[in-house]
Amino acid sequence: MDERSGMDAGIRAISILISGLLCYGGLGWLLDSWLHTSWLLPVGLILGMVAGIYMVIVRYGRSV
Amino acid sequence: MSAMIGLLIPLEGFPPGVNSFDSKPLFPELGPSWYWVNNHLIQAVIATVLVIGFWLWMAREQKVVPGKRQFFGELAYNLVRNSIARDILGHEYRRFLPYLLALFSFILVNNLFGEFFLFMFPTFSKIGYVWGLALCSWILYNGAGIHKYGLFTYLRKATLPEGVPVLLWPLIIPLEFLSNFIVRPVTLALRLFANLFAGHLVILVFVLGGTLLLESGQAFLVAAGGMSLIFSFAIFALELFVGFLQAYIFTVLTAQYVSSAVAEEH
Repeated sequence: MDERSGMDAGIRAISILISGLLCYGGLGWLLDSWLHTSWLLPVGLILGMVAGIYMVIVRYGRSV
Repeated sequence: MSAMIGLLIPLEGFPPGVNSFDSKPLFPELGPSWYWVNNHLIQAVIATVLVIGFWLWMAREQKVVPGKRQFFGELAYNLVRNSIARDILGHEYRRFLPYLLALFSFILVNNLFGEFFLFMFPTFSKIGYVWGLALCSWILYNGAGIHKYGLFTYLRKATLPEGVPVLLWPLIIPLEFLSNFIVRPVTLALRLFANLFAGHLVILVFVLGGTLLLESGQAFLVAAGGMSLIFSFAIFALELFVGFLQAYIFTVLTAQYVSSAVAEEH
């Protein structure tokens, strides 16, 4: 039981990290191609990474 | 003789590559509108019939003291019932058990087709079939959540974990939405697909490459080809294990998704 819920938690954490990068990196990329700038993609990627790590901490950071 | 072997073990087409996974239409003479009836579709249908037939046969004439057949059936049934459904879903497991059992046995039979005569192709190394399965699981776990909480409560629970300050909500909600409704089912499908695709490709490399070397006629290359064919048995054994493991993992994760969709606390 513990092993499997650990597997689910790990997969979920990874999917949150990926979603952060995809969501805000993608947003930055779209804005970049719309506004003809080039700095929003890295900003979006970093923001997404930060949001993803923050979410993992909120979800799994507390001691069980 | 070699024609019969070719029929029994349809591994052909050197060099192996992505085009080894192309479907062949079964009735090319009927024209392009019948191309959808291909060998992989028939294989999936045969797997369905086998799974239905297996469980009907196992459920027939049940006795209090099980015979060999019923004992085997209960063993297979209990694997899914006890170690997947009941452990993960708790007391509500009965409602989801039919889907989980069908999912597990369907994936398992299709994966084992990758190592068996006549087929030699795991159906789920074609990604379209895997999208179908993932879609079924997606509908199931979202449906279970919506059924239990209603649409808006479910969406709020799924996209907004507790303990996030209000200031961060606009940042977190799209992220959690993407994570729960898109990335998780996509990774679920890709995991099954990639394992079987890679495994079948390795089998093709060992068997086809080994055969090519055996037929080359040079002593050293023939020896290498023989070694390659011998090692292909180890790869086949590994693929049997991977096929079972991936069927198990797909079912476990579907159960986990359902359980997190209907969970009381988040």
